[in-house]
Amino acid sequence: MFNHVLLCTHGTEGALKAESFVFQKLTDNPTLKVTVLTVLDEDWRGMTGDDWLNSSKTHTTFLDHVENQMNEEIAEEWQRIKDSYPVADQAEFLQRTGNIAKTITKVAEQLACDLIVIGPYRKKKKFSIHSTGMGLKARMKNQELHPLLPCPLLIAP
Amino acid sequence: MSRIKDQMPVLIMGTGLIIYGLIAKTGALEGLAKALHTHKTLDLQITMTLVVGAIALLGAFINSAKEPGNSNFDTFVLQPLGGIVLILVMAMAIRWYMEPLVKIMSKSLQPLLGFKLYKVLNLNYVVLGILAGVVLTNTWGIPKFAAPGVKCARFVLKMGVIMLGARYSFAELAKLGVYSVWLVGFFVLGTVFLVLWLGNIFKQPKSMTGVLSAGMGVCGVSATVAVAPVVKAKSAEMAYTIGTILSFGIICMFVFPTIGKLAGMNPVQFGAWAGTGILNSAQVAAAALAFNAVDIKTLKVAEIFNITRVLFLPIIVLVLATWFGKETGQKLSFKSIVIDKFPVFILGFLLLFAMSSMGLFSPPSHYKGKYIDVSYNDRTQVTSEEWETLNNAMSKNAFSGLSTEQLEAVTNLIEQRQIAGNYDDRANKKEFDHVGRSRMTQLEGVLAAAKANQIKLSGEVKSAIKHAVKQVHKKSKTVVTLTNCMIWFFAFGLIGLGMQITKKSITQAGGWPIVMGVISGITKATLSFFVVLWLVKDVVLN
Repeated sequence: MFNHVLLCTHGTEGALKAESFVFQKLTDNPTLKVTVLTVLDEDWRGMTGDDWLNSSKTHTTFLDHVENQMNEEIAEEWQRIKDSYPVADQAEFLQRTGNIAKTITKVAEQLACDLIVIGPYRKKKKFSIHSTGMGLKARMKNQELHPLLPCPLLIAP
Repeated sequence: MSRIKDQMPVLIMGTGLIIYGLIAKTGALEGLAKALHTHKTLDLQITMTLVVGAIALLGAFINSAKEPGNSNFDTFVLQPLGGIVLILVMAMAIRWYMEPLVKIMSKSLQPLLGFKLYKVLNLNYVVLGILAGVVLTNTWGIPKFAAPGVKCARFVLKMGVIMLGARYSFAELAKLGVYSVWLVGFFVLGTVFLVLWLGNIFKQPKSMTGVLSAGMGVCGVSATVAVAPVVKAKSAEMAYTIGTILSFGIICMFVFPTIGKLAGMNPVQFGAWAGTGILNSAQVAAAALAFNAVDIKTLKVAEIFNITRVLFLPIIVLVLATWFGKETGQKLSFKSIVIDKFPVFILGFLLLFAMSSMGLFSPPSHYKGKYIDVSYNDRTQVTSEEWETLNNAMSKNAFSGLSTEQLEAVTNLIEQRQIAGNYDDRANKKEFDHVGRSRMTQLEGVLAAAKANQIKLSGEVKSAIKHAVKQVHKKSKTVVTLTNCMIWFFAFGLIGLGMQITKKSITQAGGWPIVMGVISGITKATLSFFVVLWLVKDVVLN
């Protein structure tokens, strides 16, 4: 039914469900084209907060470090997917930076995807000192995404 | 056509400012300004709105007519112009309208609340400016046309600190320098080691404790930014650390001035405490101006502590790099750690200090109070606490032994909150100056009579009058101009920095960093409070 699926994942519990759903479909239908998209929230660029003391060189060094760190974490995420789902080798992996909802819909449009798959909405976890996960786990509001959709959206149960 | 559309907000702001300036010039706003107690700034309002409005229009027309280029003029003037004008409009609106309105509303709510809200929350133009920046960025977001200009805030704040250099004497800098090196040295190193120790106890990764220790110990987010690449901090560690520091810093910005006032701290003590206990250096400046925005005594002390902390930053980076490098085998050059991290703007501060100390801004005849300025100026006003002291004393008939001229001078001081001529004579500078100076002489007579026990005045009343007299003794017009610019630069810079505090960056606080951050932050703030009260006495500041 669908030819090109855009799987949006950043390793959260909800996103793991989306991964499982899509790669099961890919196993059932090997001709299905899958693109795995990881969006880096543009707000990471504002990480320097109200710092005003450092020189622009120190700022640049910091932002380069943040970018390298994120790239490493994304690479680890993709490796985890490939290790979990052998069929993921057939998929294309893409990384973009920007507003999450806008970037997902823009990529879907550019690649002419006919289905976007994301994980379900999850309640925010209560504060825990052990919650030191990766820095990628940004949240997106559905009301931002829905008006921009260029193709059907599937929320993996 | 699209370029004109892009410049439309700047054109609207420029036109609005010019219309405002022209209306104010006709005198139509005098009644409103009097009701808001801002009528003494009307001349400044007219000049600033017309000048900023004209620059905004000119810049917007140039930007509409030509393609954006890569020249220095494009990068540093034309592209940031929209943001600069937006922040200036916000700064003017806050100083001339929002702050007075907040005061009036707080006073009217006093019977209901039992206290003055603006006093408890220190809602002066500095705090309101930061809040306005935070609200704007977290609701509508920074408008596209303003984004390059908002980035100028960092540079403008540095310029403010450089200009502050002209306000110190050798004696002040030497005395404050000794205090700050000892206090900051102890608390910076103490907090860094406390966090490293806590990290060890809670078995946290070195990269996380390294980045958190610098942030909590030295200068907040700035130290985090400088140290994170050195200790190879992970993204979550940076996010949690920056969130923790920003949240803690914002709470400190409101809480410190209130506690300082409740504890009866003098400006030197508060400046020292804020400069030691508050994490982010921008919030140190904000808290110092929140404690006392009328004169810059507190800011002068706080900034010396701030600068000392910043000078400790390369040392701490070196220590953490060595500590981290031992385990990872990572080698970094002395240049990349110390030279690159050295805050160059401090050289500008020292240059202005040296120029001022050599008398380049103040001809000898202007030194030591020989130059008196009784013109309208926000900074020559007495503080609101001093005003209340004088007002209460007048209502209790405490000035009964004064001559008619002396009583008139005191009454006028209460009315105008500063020594000045008559408001209606302000156009006649000679007459205005003459009346102002004679009022100052009468007030000096009041102090002399009190000293000779001819009249009885409380210590607080004498202190308030002494301060009012001191405020109109200026070193030179150049220094006054530099100080006026500096206050606007600080207001501009802090609004711009407020715009860079996003809700996301604050709410990402969490994990172990928030636990260790709260323990170390509260320990540092509490201990430094008692140490400052115990050790720091009032330093004579000019």
